[in-house]
Amino acid sequence: MKRVGIIGTGLTGSMHAERWAQLPVELAGFYTRTPARAQAAADRYGGRAFPSLEALLAQVDVVDICTPTPSHKDLVLAAAAAGKDIICEKPMARHLRDAEEMVVACEKAGVRLFMAHVVRFFPEYARAKEILDSGRLGRPGVIRTVRGGNFPAPDTQNWYIDFEQGGGVIMDMLIHDIDYARWCFGEAERVFARGLTFSDVQDADHVLLTVRFQNGAIGHLEGSWAFPPGNFRTRLEMAGDGGLLEVDSLDNPPIKVTLKQKETDLAAGVPVPESSMHPTDDPYTREIAHFLSCLESGDDFLVSPRDGLEALRIALAAIESLRLGRPVDVTTFEEEGPL
Amino acid sequence: MTIKIGMLSFAHMHAHSYAACLKQIPGVELAGIADDDPERGREMATQFDVNFFPSVETLLDKKLDGVIICSENAKHRPLTELAAPRAAHILCEKPIAATLADAQAMIDVCAAHGTKLQIAFPVRFSAPVQRLKAILDEGTLGRIYSVKTTNHGRMPGGWFIDKALAGGGAVIDHTVHVIDLLRWFWDTEVTEVYAEIGHSLLHPGLGIDDAGLLSFKLATGAYGTLDTSWSRPESYPTWGDVKLEVLGERGIVRVDAFNQNIALYSDQTGKGQWVNWGSNIDLGLIQDFVDMIATGREPFITGYDGLKALEVALAAYRSAERGEPVSLPLGEGGSA
Repeated sequence: MKRVGIIGTGLTGSMHAERWAQLPVELAGFYTRTPARAQAAADRYGGRAFPSLEALLAQVDVVDICTPTPSHKDLVLAAAAAGKDIICEKPMARHLRDAEEMVVACEKAGVRLFMAHVVRFFPEYARAKEILDSGRLGRPGVIRTVRGGNFPAPDTQNWYIDFEQGGGVIMDMLIHDIDYARWCFGEAERVFARGLTFSDVQDADHVLLTVRFQNGAIGHLEGSWAFPPGNFRTRLEMAGDGGLLEVDSLDNPPIKVTLKQKETDLAAGVPVPESSMHPTDDPYTREIAHFLSCLESGDDFLVSPRDGLEALRIALAAIESLRLGRPVDVTTFEEEGPL
Repeated sequence: MTIKIGMLSFAHMHAHSYAACLKQIPGVELAGIADDDPERGREMATQFDVNFFPSVETLLDKKLDGVIICSENAKHRPLTELAAPRAAHILCEKPIAATLADAQAMIDVCAAHGTKLQIAFPVRFSAPVQRLKAILDEGTLGRIYSVKTTNHGRMPGGWFIDKALAGGGAVIDHTVHVIDLLRWFWDTEVTEVYAEIGHSLLHPGLGIDDAGLLSFKLATGAYGTLDTSWSRPESYPTWGDVKLEVLGERGIVRVDAFNQNIALYSDQTGKGQWVNWGSNIDLGLIQDFVDMIATGREPFITGYDGLKALEVALAAYRSAERGEPVSLPLGEGGSA
């Protein structure tokens, strides 16, 4: 059985730990910079709290990196140097140069790197891709996506709302749909974005992104941290010259509970979609089980390191467009300035 | 006193609905139909039980109080120029014209004759849209950040895909309704447009734009987008949509203006259908036109409103040609 070590015990680390615990692996334990949090995660999900990254790397076969974005590079480099296969939370890195280094390091070390773009594993998104690939929509024409929730609570996940670390709503939310749209419609030609990221608004972020794909298709991607709490929404629409599909999390919820409340009790933190699935269909379980299965079979991952890199490139080009107020050519885009 | 209204052309399918509305408003007489397609005109005259007039002039001789123009976009101007001297009120289908020069000429000829020109933007009469307008007027949302909109449809075919008659495809067809709403909501103008436009993207060989994404700024400081695509296939359960999502500091309002439907599944049609039971927006438009005639007040939706909405569509085409954002108002050569 593979021995799995999880680095980071925040929202993603906990969600992954819960899924790893259900799979035929040995959950070796956790490392995070705050020892008490690693211990709390070990108490809850099993395994032990490692006192250092090196201690964890010495005891595992597989590393699951669930830390804030800016630390991904150093952790991937360390894990690769130690010869461990890696699953890494999105976005791959905060800057292109870091992501490129990660790809090279893993190739050189001969370890496998899987980018956890989980939207590809959401059943409705996976089914929509199957429909597109079946030809029932015809040639791809217009893709529209929505991913939105409330502004992350400043007290719990501070790094999310620090643009230098997290990259704002484009890097946290929109990058999911950037990856998905690229998976479905192919490489992007150029992007144009409008939004709140660089505005004077402090307690919200929101972006409307248009994309021209290299095959001539167009896309409209909305990412929001500006909705009121309790309003997480995803939506997907793909139109081709043969048909159209739509799926919206606001439509027809399979279960809806409405209780009398004395006062509204709104969840703090970063909103996460509910998907009310049988445990085996849970997108995070499917994602991690896919990773594990590919490690065992040697099959290609559904998301390659290059996919992670290209999604990051489009996201950074979108940020650049937002900053400049002009369309940005993705194919020639390079980050400027000292990184 | 009976208000006599004539209809000039049934080239645009909205004419059917407008004629039906005229027939059900008390005190209004549908005085006749003129059409440069005599076969279509005669058929419509029979259907609505009125006289067909082979020439516009003979219909205008009937001392009409008003006319409704539902011709191809490029013919709005010549019909307006014929009607303005002899009918005191004109309701013209949207977009006002295919070019800014034509739109301005229509406004000018009506002004010269004291004729009141109204543009047919019936979505202003949608009950959910009016409720949104009230919410905005109350200031419930606080500062407005953005407005994300769509006006999707099926590919209409016919003259709608003939650039000489329509002025363009999906972008000119489906920009103006929503832009008019935004101008009306906030008494504002679009100051910049960027557009990604698809030609024959959803309909191979169509030869005209059938998909469009506009990204714009308003003078209020808000930003927004509009999807004008003819992306609804024939198998879709309804014709299309008008959707508006207004995001502000205190929340979001989502309007799906035509989402009052019965879902119908009949083996006779072989596909699911949404049968709308919402209030008839065209009736609101026609009643407003009639009320303007009866009371002598100014139009609720003016020729200038029509021109400014058209200008945004033309700016979108220009942006797509140049690959960069275009500032408004457009300067010389504003035609697409």
